[in-house]
Amino acid sequence: MAEKSWRKTLWEIAVIVFASALFGILWNRPLLSDAWRSAPAVQAAPTAQQAEAVPMPIGVAQVKELHDSGQAVLVDARSAASYIKEHIAGALSLPLEEATRQQAPQLKGVAKDAVIIAYCNGFSCHDSMQLGKLLIKAGYGSVYVFEGGLPEWRDAGYPTSGGKQ
Amino acid sequence: MTPLRATMIPLALRVALGAVFIYAAIPKIVDPVAFAGSVAAYQILPYFWSYLTAAVLPFVELACGVLLVCGVRVRSGALIIGALNLVFMAALTSAIIRGLDIDCGCFRQDGPKTSPWLALVRDAFFLAMTAAVLRYEGLRTR
Repeated sequence: MAEKSWRKTLWEIAVIVFASALFGILWNRPLLSDAWRSAPAVQAAPTAQQAEAVPMPIGVAQVKELHDSGQAVLVDARSAASYIKEHIAGALSLPLEEATRQQAPQLKGVAKDAVIIAYCNGFSCHDSMQLGKLLIKAGYGSVYVFEGGLPEWRDAGYPTSGGKQ
Repeated sequence: MTPLRATMIPLALRVALGAVFIYAAIPKIVDPVAFAGSVAAYQILPYFWSYLTAAVLPFVELACGVLLVCGVRVRSGALIIGALNLVFMAALTSAIIRGLDIDCGCFRQDGPKTSPWLALVRDAFFLAMTAAVLRYEGLRTR
């Protein structure tokens, strides 16, 4: 009797978990397929107003393309020390702390209409999003956030520079 | 104990535990990207799996919470909740050991950070509630 009731409970647990998981996957299908293709985040077609306030997310493949063709300026939101250790090759350093202090941060030699991609330490780090917002406020028109950041870039085997100490 | 109290306490425990899990699930369902960020912050799961967890976990929490509140399949629901609590506590412990300064991502995904220590204590409390619910359920259905 007891064994039978345990078996029933195990069945119920399996059904509950399976059904919830299936529902969750179906519910988040677009997000998951984006993540699978390594193109993080939503907001596929932001309205003008959204684009004004929040930087658009961009995936590692597109970042690589823009990086290689020199069409974008990459900006490292991490501390100066982390930047010196390692950063995406060709990226500029603008630590969020410093940008916050300046209120309207300016990037030397970068036009206001240039494509700017902010990044930091991947998903655990929200500094790039904050920095992106500040840059938009400062008048830069086309700001993106590379949420995978340095870890995803490095994992993909793309070039970095710095002392790596 | 009076019979009334004997039935009220288990009921209150069960509904409270269920409500906590429903309350925890909703912000995660509303903003799965933010929750995926919280999961990734633990640096345990690889990239895609953080998203998969963020997609699936809130719905498991919601389902178990609803079952407990409604008093349907209580033993199964409570066992899943207990298992989830153990997983959360293991993740939090590993975050503390590695010295990660992260938000636990347990309930709201924005707002002030909840330290892993506080979250660990809270989860231990929920685990105790789960054990009590399971015990009462066992007595009731014996």
